[in-house]
Amino acid sequence: MSNDNGLMTALRAPFTILALRRAVFCVAGVVTAVAVLAVPAIVPGVGVLILWASGALSEKPAPAVAPVFLVLFPLTIALLAVLVVPIGRAIGAVHRRLADRLLDEHVAAPQARPGWRAVGYCLLKVPLAIPQGYGVFCYVFGLVNLSYPVWWPLFRNHPPGTILGPVWALTPFGRIGTRTLGGTFLIAAAGLAMLLVAPWLMRAGTMLDLAAMRRLLGPGRLAERVRELQVSRARAIDDAAAMMRRLERDLHDGAQIRLATLAMNLGMATEKLGADGPPPDLAQARELVALAHRGAKDALADLRDLVRGIHPPVLDNGLGDALATLATSSAIPVAVNVELPDRPAPAIETIAYFCASELLANAAKHSRATRIKIVVARSGERLLLTAEDDGVGGANPDGPGLSGLARRIAVVDGRMRVHSPAGGPTRVKIELPTHV
Amino acid sequence: MRVVIAEDAAMMREGLVRLLTDRGFEVCAAVADADALRSAIAAAVPDVAIIDIRMPPTHTDEGLRAAIDIRRDHPTVGVLVFSQYVETRYATRLLADRPTGVGYLLKDRVADVADFVDALTRVASGGTALDPEVVGHLMRAGQDMAGLASLTPREREVLSLMAEGRSNAGIAAALVITPGVVEKHVANIFAKLGLPSSETDNRRVLAVLRHVSG
Repeated sequence: MSNDNGLMTALRAPFTILALRRAVFCVAGVVTAVAVLAVPAIVPGVGVLILWASGALSEKPAPAVAPVFLVLFPLTIALLAVLVVPIGRAIGAVHRRLADRLLDEHVAAPQARPGWRAVGYCLLKVPLAIPQGYGVFCYVFGLVNLSYPVWWPLFRNHPPGTILGPVWALTPFGRIGTRTLGGTFLIAAAGLAMLLVAPWLMRAGTMLDLAAMRRLLGPGRLAERVRELQVSRARAIDDAAAMMRRLERDLHDGAQIRLATLAMNLGMATEKLGADGPPPDLAQARELVALAHRGAKDALADLRDLVRGIHPPVLDNGLGDALATLATSSAIPVAVNVELPDRPAPAIETIAYFCASELLANAAKHSRATRIKIVVARSGERLLLTAEDDGVGGANPDGPGLSGLARRIAVVDGRMRVHSPAGGPTRVKIELPTHV
Repeated sequence: MRVVIAEDAAMMREGLVRLLTDRGFEVCAAVADADALRSAIAAAVPDVAIIDIRMPPTHTDEGLRAAIDIRRDHPTVGVLVFSQYVETRYATRLLADRPTGVGYLLKDRVADVADFVDALTRVASGGTALDPEVVGHLMRAGQDMAGLASLTPREREVLSLMAEGRSNAGIAAALVITPGVVEKHVANIFAKLGLPSSETDNRRVLAVLRHVSG
């Protein structure tokens, strides 16, 4: 099963949008490398140009040639030395944007402007262009070679007896030529091989390039970490404030209003019963008391839900019990499997619980699933929570629910991956540290 | 007496309709948001409107803003703002131009039906009804002022009740003393605070509030 999948993936790889995007990125890489290689040629080129323009290359040089050359040549070198950093920056910026647009890889701009590091990246572009160039070459000529058998019959209209030169095709290992239709199939086979290899070459080229970009164009690792922490701290603060607001809102619109109404009904009932003596309106008083009674029960239910939302008491017994309890209140049948050798930190248990709760609520609302599986396992120092359903998929990781979860998870350096193609099924994997 | 109710919680709204109808009020409209309230007021021009501060869509202070608009556009309509918490700032905004036909009560006060109906009637007939909570806040805020410090505990009680908008008779009933005694206390309070006396109930509420809120 997995072998089949692997084969299909390999066969499909050249025909994905990603392959095309990588090809464009690689072409840009090769062009940059050529430009970078051309820079050292500029200085002697300019020198020759100056000599030629001033007549130094003619038979009888004018007397002004030597001083002009002496002034202009160092000036050119100085200009290049001055421009090398801004050019490096510009090339770096262009590549950062290319990576963002084409590969969806965001390399953060560093706080300080990149200088010599960007120049270093430009120099690295030269060796990086080798796998990139090879990849694009195989990609383009793989397609071309593959088409040879199709073209062949079109050129078979020459008069009989004509001796034809061989048809040439390019491969990474040199030219191959053929004079027969059978030979074109050999070329096509070579083309297929090139086409299959091309995505991996381009992938290697872009991956190496991205690694270089992160090192040389992105902010330093410490700066990056500080930025991450700042963002996650801001999120944690926002989250806490949002939670307090939600709590206030829930109390205000729920229990508080129920209790106020209850008090009002009891007040009216008191009036109906009168201060003393026989009650003036017993029937209405009874009805009002019944209303108040129901209101009190509703208020209690409201408060119970609210309290569970703040911190489910069963969580004190561990994630297993808590998730099992959560599963019983789900409309869709849930299979829970928790295998943890020891208990993670309470904060992690709480986050894992609310993730599961949110995912179940999402599934109940949107998935139309008939069963859900929640698995919690431990992998080294990480806790892995996987929720899988058999629903219609199409969950949007940027929607309010899932993005809220992602924010909460990011606060503790966790990660969430959502796999939910249209048509389903949905699989959400959440990775949390076991200790904060 | 004709009433319009604006309250977004259905339970509370229905309860209020029932309570007021039972007490012989005519409920012209019971609506759930500020826009509906504005059109209901324009259509019915009631004697008094009961307005919840927090209503959709923003659930912040749309009720209060509507109340201020109504006081400006329909001076004859009494406005009783009520809410689950009291903000002194809201009270001062409400009372800003004139302390007539205005009230600000905690929702809890509906539990004492007679008091609530009394406050509503007072507002409808151009009087004032301020929640004891608001008055308490204002008094605490004004604690440092020389005048307030010199009042006796009984005079403070009388002052609070005055600030709530009660008449001398109302104060007498609440404190179980004779109206004559109340008058004497009032005269003392005005003298100690340096306020001009012999004013109507409304004007004296304003004077007292201006004094305590600085």
